[in-house]
Amino acid sequence: MDLTLFLLLLGLTGILAGLVGSLTGLGGAVVVIPVLIIGFGASFPVAAGAGLITILATSSTTGSAYVRDRLTDLRIGMFFEIATVPGAILGATVTVLLVHANLNDALLVALGIVFLAIIPGSWSRRHEELPQGVVPDRRSRKLGLYGSYYDQGTGKEVGYVAARTTPALGVMFGAGVVSGMFGIGAGVFKVTALDHYLRLPMKISTATSNFMMGVTAAAGAGVLLAAGYVNPFVAAPAAMGTALGAYLGATILPGLKNRTVRYIAVPVIGVLAIETILRGFGLP
Amino acid sequence: MSGPEGTPAPPVARDDRLPPQAYRNIVLSLRTGLIAALVLLVGGIAAYVAVHPGVTSGEILSSNPIASFLTFSGLTRGLAHGSPEAFLTLGILVLVATPIVRVVAGFYYFERGGERTMAGITLVVFVLLLFALLVFGPFVK
Repeated sequence: MDLTLFLLLLGLTGILAGLVGSLTGLGGAVVVIPVLIIGFGASFPVAAGAGLITILATSSTTGSAYVRDRLTDLRIGMFFEIATVPGAILGATVTVLLVHANLNDALLVALGIVFLAIIPGSWSRRHEELPQGVVPDRRSRKLGLYGSYYDQGTGKEVGYVAARTTPALGVMFGAGVVSGMFGIGAGVFKVTALDHYLRLPMKISTATSNFMMGVTAAAGAGVLLAAGYVNPFVAAPAAMGTALGAYLGATILPGLKNRTVRYIAVPVIGVLAIETILRGFGLP
Repeated sequence: MSGPEGTPAPPVARDDRLPPQAYRNIVLSLRTGLIAALVLLVGGIAAYVAVHPGVTSGEILSSNPIASFLTFSGLTRGLAHGSPEAFLTLGILVLVATPIVRVVAGFYYFERGGERTMAGITLVVFVLLLFALLVFGPFVK
């Protein structure tokens, strides 16, 4: 294929992926990675490297808006990066070692399974109400993992405090491994830790998870880049398209009903995941 | 809603332990890094397509065009010669470095605020990120 056409198609794929990713909450990389492998013939590590670059671009775009609006808890985000960063380094290193051991097919099967596993997270109804009666643990008190934000819905300043930091650290490490290994943001896992264990309000969980994704992706991308698996001709158009698509999804199309989008997009992601698994098994 | 000791939180209790400029400078660093990376990547790709009009996607996918620019000497030599691949490499590096810069900003503000534990945590994260790029990646290459 002509290079210019290839770059344009990748950019358009990125825009679509960014739109779908932001409207479903799964993130653009979940669409970009299987399409790169199935549609464009990219190898697994190159697709994973492009996925991480895509996350870096979208996290810097949307992440800065959340920081500006003071919805990101910088202290909590930076504390839990102590778990996601080593996880991502381990995940990316394992990917490189498996590729060297000619286990690309096993990685494809694992990627498809991870995608199928995170889809239910986009369907589950997140609790909109504010957590009540949260008791901080000793680490949370020591590090001052609390804050407040202005809730536009209620018109009030809402205070919060982090609860169970130890299990949250474990989940964050796992999220880092998944992110570095497969090139996805693993936001479902991060939000689970922030929402379920720390018991932060949903808006703070979402914004802080997004903020952490950039640093987590930088750790994984650093390993894959230095190992030679970040191809800018694949990663750059996909990342630029996805960042634009995510921006459009967040700002220009707020009226689009998420439920409708999910009914269309989630089965498509499911089909892509199954196709990726079949490829791993050597089936057409 | 509970406060830090399990007691009701005050109605207005924003995290004023970090100064407002911490938020402003982190936003500024993320946006500046993203824009600089986009300029380098778009310019690099446009220049590459102009210099190599006959290249196909198959050739691009079969080998990494920036492989020889992933060392400090290779990158500086490439930039000095105006190589599009070198500028693409720099664009990717700027994108990867952007969140690392905000980790450094976090360390600075925590240290300045006398929060030694949080400053230590951000310093460890920073060292790990440098290790990923400079040690782990080249080691497993």
